[in-house]
Amino acid sequence: MLQVLTGGMLGGALLFALVTGRGEAVFSGLLAGAQGAVETAVGLMGSFGIFCGLMNILSASGAVEWLNKRLKKPLKKLLGDVREEALSYVTLNLSANMLGLGNAATPAGLEAAKRLADGERASNALCMFLVINASSVQLLPSTVVALRTAMGAQNPGAVILPGLLSTCLSTLTGILMCKWMEKKA
Amino acid sequence: MILCCFALFCLLAGAWKRVPVYDRFVEGAREGIQTAVRILPALLVMLSCIKAMEESGLTAALCGFLQPLTDKMGVPEDLVPLMVLRPLSGSASLAMLKEVMETHGPDSRIALLAGAMMGSSETVFYTLSVYLASAGVKKGRHILPCALTACLAGYVGAFLFCP
Repeated sequence: MLQVLTGGMLGGALLFALVTGRGEAVFSGLLAGAQGAVETAVGLMGSFGIFCGLMNILSASGAVEWLNKRLKKPLKKLLGDVREEALSYVTLNLSANMLGLGNAATPAGLEAAKRLADGERASNALCMFLVINASSVQLLPSTVVALRTAMGAQNPGAVILPGLLSTCLSTLTGILMCKWMEKKA
Repeated sequence: MILCCFALFCLLAGAWKRVPVYDRFVEGAREGIQTAVRILPALLVMLSCIKAMEESGLTAALCGFLQPLTDKMGVPEDLVPLMVLRPLSGSASLAMLKEVMETHGPDSRIALLAGAMMGSSETVFYTLSVYLASAGVKKGRHILPCALTACLAGYVGAFLFCP
């Protein structure tokens, strides 16, 4: 997918430049983009450092376990009849995801998916879990806030509330549609 | 304001649970810096391609082509690439988000919209393919349509909730 995308973008740009006679400009654009990326990454290092640092304090304080406890009951209702072990991996994945701790979330999510799978056909529980997972339930969109900080926004946190509301809407829509499709099948 | 409260909350939670705050802060910061370094190569390729497209005039040509369509839907055309790329690739959409912030300023409404869209959705295709492959599932049933609808709902939410 990305191979096609990159090839198309760059190949298209180079061909278009040759046709319109902007060969020089296109290569300096390429270099300027690379330089911009390095500058952004340096800015991100600083703001990611702060966010991940704070998040790490929070997770060391037991935030994941705290969320885990509160998510268990609602998830049990949504996923239906699943084993306790699978459920605990699901809640661990989703709590870590909510806090933006990708490193902790992925292994738990993979374990959960393995345990929920029912042969080669996705079970209802697996569908629900992956839809919730893929609809993103981040409480703090730290990447976006970090980028806004790195780009010099006056109020980098302004995105948090609209982001939170839209991610709730997105997850809710996913859950409802998943339930509906489940019944229809 | 929110961020200040968040930072204070983290510190208080750490202090209350007797967490070695300095050590955990440094440990997390190290991870954050590594993340920034890890995404740099992909970000570099994406941003270079985007800039090359702009310089060649291809972007302007494509936008002119798409404009009647985006005008009809009422979506700012600068957001279209972000909305399309978001489910496909994290670094490509991050690069697009940066472009939007650069052209319109990070405090503009359109940058806020783009940020809310980015924060409310996930790299759906990538995430699903990884999870389904590791679980050995071949028939995903209604997972993809539901996940994409959820992503779209996040975009609509961004338009609704951005002041």
